[in-house]
Amino acid sequence: MVAAPKPGGDIDLPADMQRELDELETKGHRLTHYQLLSVTPDADGATVRRAYLEASKRFHPDAWYRKDLGHYGPLLSKWFQRLTGAYQLLSNEESRAQYDRDHRGELSQSERAAMERRQLSMQEEERRARERRERMLRTKGFARIGAARKLYEEAVEHAQNGERMQAIFALTAARELDPNRKEISAKLTELEREQARARARSALSSAQEREEKKLFAEAVTVYAVAFQNDPTSHPAAVGAARCAMQISDKRAATTWAMRAVDLSPDDLAARMMLARLLAEAGLKSRARTELTQLLNRSPDHKEAKQLLRTL
Amino acid sequence: MGELVIGIDLGTTNSVCATVRGGTPTVIPNRSGYRITPSVVAMARNGKRLVGALARRQAVTNAERTVVAVKRLMGRRWSTKTTQETLQRMPYSVVKGPHDDVRIALGEQEYSPPEISAMVLTELRLDAEAFFGAPVSKAVITCPAYFNDAQRNATKDAGRIAGLEVIRIINEPTSAALAFGFGKAQAERQIAVFDLGGGTFDFTVLHMFKGVFEVEATGGDSLLGGEDFDSRIIDSLAGPFQQKHGVDLRKDKMALQRLRDAAEKAKCELSLVKQVEINLPFISSTPQTGPLHLQSTLTRDQLEQMTGDLVQRCMKVCEQVMGEAKVLPAQLGDVLLVGGQTRMPKIQDEVRRLFGKEPAKTVNPDEAVALGAAIQGAMLLHDEQEMLLLDVTPHSLGIAIAGGFFQKIIEKNTTVPTSAHHVFTTVKDDQTSAKITVLQGESEVAGDNELLGEFMLTGLRAAPRGQVDIDVIFDISADGIVSVSALDVQTGTRQSITVTASSGLTEDEIKKAARSNEDWMLGQKEDPDFQDRKARAEEIIREFEALWPRLTRAAQNGLGQEPLQRAQAALSVARLQLAQRESEALAASIDRLERMLQALKGALERGKGAP
Repeated sequence: MVAAPKPGGDIDLPADMQRELDELETKGHRLTHYQLLSVTPDADGATVRRAYLEASKRFHPDAWYRKDLGHYGPLLSKWFQRLTGAYQLLSNEESRAQYDRDHRGELSQSERAAMERRQLSMQEEERRARERRERMLRTKGFARIGAARKLYEEAVEHAQNGERMQAIFALTAARELDPNRKEISAKLTELEREQARARARSALSSAQEREEKKLFAEAVTVYAVAFQNDPTSHPAAVGAARCAMQISDKRAATTWAMRAVDLSPDDLAARMMLARLLAEAGLKSRARTELTQLLNRSPDHKEAKQLLRTL
Repeated sequence: MGELVIGIDLGTTNSVCATVRGGTPTVIPNRSGYRITPSVVAMARNGKRLVGALARRQAVTNAERTVVAVKRLMGRRWSTKTTQETLQRMPYSVVKGPHDDVRIALGEQEYSPPEISAMVLTELRLDAEAFFGAPVSKAVITCPAYFNDAQRNATKDAGRIAGLEVIRIINEPTSAALAFGFGKAQAERQIAVFDLGGGTFDFTVLHMFKGVFEVEATGGDSLLGGEDFDSRIIDSLAGPFQQKHGVDLRKDKMALQRLRDAAEKAKCELSLVKQVEINLPFISSTPQTGPLHLQSTLTRDQLEQMTGDLVQRCMKVCEQVMGEAKVLPAQLGDVLLVGGQTRMPKIQDEVRRLFGKEPAKTVNPDEAVALGAAIQGAMLLHDEQEMLLLDVTPHSLGIAIAGGFFQKIIEKNTTVPTSAHHVFTTVKDDQTSAKITVLQGESEVAGDNELLGEFMLTGLRAAPRGQVDIDVIFDISADGIVSVSALDVQTGTRQSITVTASSGLTEDEIKKAARSNEDWMLGQKEDPDFQDRKARAEEIIREFEALWPRLTRAAQNGLGQEPLQRAQAALSVARLQLAQRESEALAASIDRLERMLQALKGALERGKGAP
């Protein structure tokens, strides 16, 4: 056996891998997802996937199974997970678009140009797809059923490539052509729900960012958007209540706190906030109800006891 | 040449062992020369452990001490409904174990499911050692993709008890895909694996590109398999019989075993012919009627009718998984059929209908899984294999939160290794400890999911509720091992556990079982004289066989049937001893057979003289 040069002592990992990991550790955090996967920002879904699969051949811990990796072991696992995260984010058209918007500033001139090229070509494609859908919608008679099936298949393909909007457009047209086909409406509802949830998630994180920057008025609005898209989102309701308090919009705060308590009856902090707001608004009996509810759950709650006494 | 490593498909009804030799995946035949070993274990009346075909052959006469389909009990808790339902159909007796697990009573002893599986694994290990002529200690074992953590750990424990280091547990459908993709891995394509085995159903969608196999989505039903098809046939036979004679054959363990064999045989034949006869004479008797016989015909149409819902359940899973993988049937390059039950024409028809294409014919449904496991073993241990498997977690992972709800932290179908974290806060003032309950499953209600483990995070700072943030971090390694750690964000207090869902055995119990298995194996070590005796015995058997036509003629001409019957009995005893490698007993048989042979030859000589 020929001993390869091992700068890291007895570590059984090729020198170039060691170098690559060291480099990632120092500079990797500043790389965009595109740079991490070594693709250009105009790469399509299949290219991104291939790049990820190629990279995983070197970064998946199994590629170095039972090798003595020293401190490189955890690094390998960490960067494999980073690659997976980047791949997953970029393989969904919606999260990719959001990522592109958020990280425009980090791209070089040529990368930005590549991204814009891709966006333009996507817009062009979208325009053509729209025209085609409109043409198909004008089909008559039995051909409508066939056209609907075609659109449905395209929609599933779009959904697979993470192009949820495209899929929804195609399905909406398909449903108009063939309103009786159950799988079309089922798929449409499913995608619309997914879309709402995705929107809620992205709104929630951008609201949280605004809250951290103490832009409370904006945060309330964005939390509200998150809640509209996902009416079961407790963090959105609580966040909105918290921020409304900060800008002393008592009425809004009360409404949001009520929603938060409805969604998660065990959130004592939200209930306490609600009780306080109700008490301040002079709605004593309702405040008392909330406090009793709270004390039922946590009999030793000092703040609640105190407020109850003053009422 | 790297270390020896074997791949084992530890099936519900049959097991297969394979390895990669000279770059080619190969099935390792067992010591009797067969490529498949039934996953059956029995305690013979003399207390001897029987495994495989031998155990299966004596199942009818020893139903209560023969364990079949133990895979269905792996990693299951006694007190669940599914376990209790499974037990209804087991002919052997199962009792509650000390850790709410199940134990199988065999004679005086009680065994856990991993111990029984270990007996099958030990047999396969001995086969492999005979094949290589060298000790084997490393193995990749497969399990259904839908197995949860407890079931996987039980499988791993079985390996340890059998003295094998289980370097990886991999999913059966993925394994089959590896076998299919071996050698044509450069092409890029999407494939699906439809795996209907003896006890479980799995469906997996994979993407293949330059040697990397990426699992996109997987799903299944861990209680749907060929045995359920058999059960339908059993019910269709036993039901009318009960109406006619008032006897429920399913309550009689011996009759049930005969019914089970007949049902399985009928099912297999109906894959080839349209109609079969089922004949079970003397299946039962009552004082009023005397002996009762079961005679019936079964057509393929009838079988399809009574199992239609089972087939539909499979198809539902396929549709759901394809939805999760966001793939259309038409986009799949190949559909592989794995597992014996996929030989049923109705299933092939339904697969053809759903996917709009012929299933791939290049994989052997019985052997592909073991071959894939062997390939994975070589991929991990031997550098020359330029292949990689990116597998996913089959179940979502999370923790129980207030109100009895389940908070998912890692979604199912996430590529492993992976990690994720979630920040929780205290719910009471001055709360100094928090219990973290780790669960696996898809239900929003915590109690409906599988419990992986619980741990307490203690030493939290005393503070008003909501002021202490606890960061819970989940890690799943490439091995599928889950570890959870919790961190008090403000103080930096950290606590972690490796969640090893209990397989039903404690560490001590596993070690003890492994030791006693090792002892058993030492007891099995061959008598140095065995090979000589074996050669001699085989020679005598051949001589008898050559002589047999003359003997039967002589029997009709005055010699009588009796000496022949005695010879026949002695021969079958010797054959059994050969198979069980009983050296001492075989020596005695050789003596007896030699004397018989001399006597019979003498009789033939004398007979020749007479007209």
